[in-house]
Amino acid sequence: MINTFIRWFGLFIVIYVLQTTIVPLLAIAGVKPDLLTLTLFFCAVKTEVIPAVFAGFFIGLAQDFYAPDILGQNALAKTIAGFFAGLFNEKVMRIDPLFQLLLIVFMFLIHDAVYYTVQILKTGISFQSIGMEILTTSLPRIFYTLFFALVPIFRELVFPSALKR
Amino acid sequence: MHWIIDLIVIHRRICSLLLTSLLSLLMITASPVKQADTLRFLSMTIFFPLQIVLSQSTRVKNIFAENHRLKADVIRLSAEVSQLREQAAENERLRNLLTIASDYDYDLLPVRVIAKDPAINFRSVVISSGNNDSIKTFMPVIGENGVVGKVVQVMHRISQVQLLKDPSNRTSVLFSKTRTVGILETETGNDFFVNCRSHEAIEEGDTVVTSGLGGIYPRGLMVGVVRRIEKIKDPLFKKVHVSLCMDFDHLEELFVMRLSPQWSAFRAELDSIEFDND
Repeated sequence: MINTFIRWFGLFIVIYVLQTTIVPLLAIAGVKPDLLTLTLFFCAVKTEVIPAVFAGFFIGLAQDFYAPDILGQNALAKTIAGFFAGLFNEKVMRIDPLFQLLLIVFMFLIHDAVYYTVQILKTGISFQSIGMEILTTSLPRIFYTLFFALVPIFRELVFPSALKR
Repeated sequence: MHWIIDLIVIHRRICSLLLTSLLSLLMITASPVKQADTLRFLSMTIFFPLQIVLSQSTRVKNIFAENHRLKADVIRLSAEVSQLREQAAENERLRNLLTIASDYDYDLLPVRVIAKDPAINFRSVVISSGNNDSIKTFMPVIGENGVVGKVVQVMHRISQVQLLKDPSNRTSVLFSKTRTVGILETETGNDFFVNCRSHEAIEEGDTVVTSGLGGIYPRGLMVGVVRRIEKIKDPLFKKVHVSLCMDFDHLEELFVMRLSPQWSAFRAELDSIEFDND
């Protein structure tokens, strides 16, 4: 239990550092992958709902802390996304790689839906501009992140015990 | 009370979601001042260790970069310091030479030693001036402390100087105190001596200058000081050992005295003399 916590905590710190340092260098036309949310997904499917919810909350809080636009916005989005992904954890069902990719897309959509809803409510931005934002930034980001999602999925296929619970 | 705990345990997933969502919503709906306070609180408690780790890693990265830059600076500055020291030493030497230049009422040409005889106990040096600077053979060469030697070979841009320490170079010298004239000789290039008559009142520490009788060096150029007086088998003579003033191991800047030998007017006649080897 403690080992699992330490392992995931360490992984999140590494990914957080990567997300804030190296990932911006990988941006294509301003679109960069969201490795933190992706890691949250794998954490959720490997563990359970409750760890995923708290992990999402604290990761989101860390992101809010790093770039405080609306404090709590990322925390709420990632909490709900983590909850959603946690529902499909490996204790409950066995999911194949294709379904995993589909889940990742859904998780990102839920995340962005919550995120932009808060944005609209707090700043009063119009739905149209948010729609444009989703089309131009959010969807490319999801597909860019899916490319990175192939790495752990492929690794899990080759080495099934790579990310233990 | 128990039923509340039981309810939370049973619906722990929903409860955790509600708890975290509620906290997030509280933060979202809080006023900017409250948000700033929350941020400050978070930075001081939860994220402070993480921030320290991140800042330390950045600091370590900066330290490495700074260390690398400082090493490069140290190398560059060491080279500059070395160069400046060299220039300061050269400056000092040139100042001394300028003092000498003002002491002598001769046409002095400053030259630089550009090569030495490759032998360990070298006997000649090459200087950076030649025919182009009106240098001719047998011109005396002096340094900051006295006589160095004479020019023996001249080319367009360089000349060869035979040093006093060359055993084949014999120089007429004068003991300043007793006005005794002798020939400065050496057998090894290290030990210099003058054979004088026994009754001459020469003492250790007496200065030795050029006598001007050899025709090459003008009178009064500093040569050295008497180091030791040795009695020899022949009771009529004694051997006066002389320490030269010039440090031949550290010759860098010198002066050529643009003087023609006193016997240059008779040079043609001298060259035409044929010696009978028998």
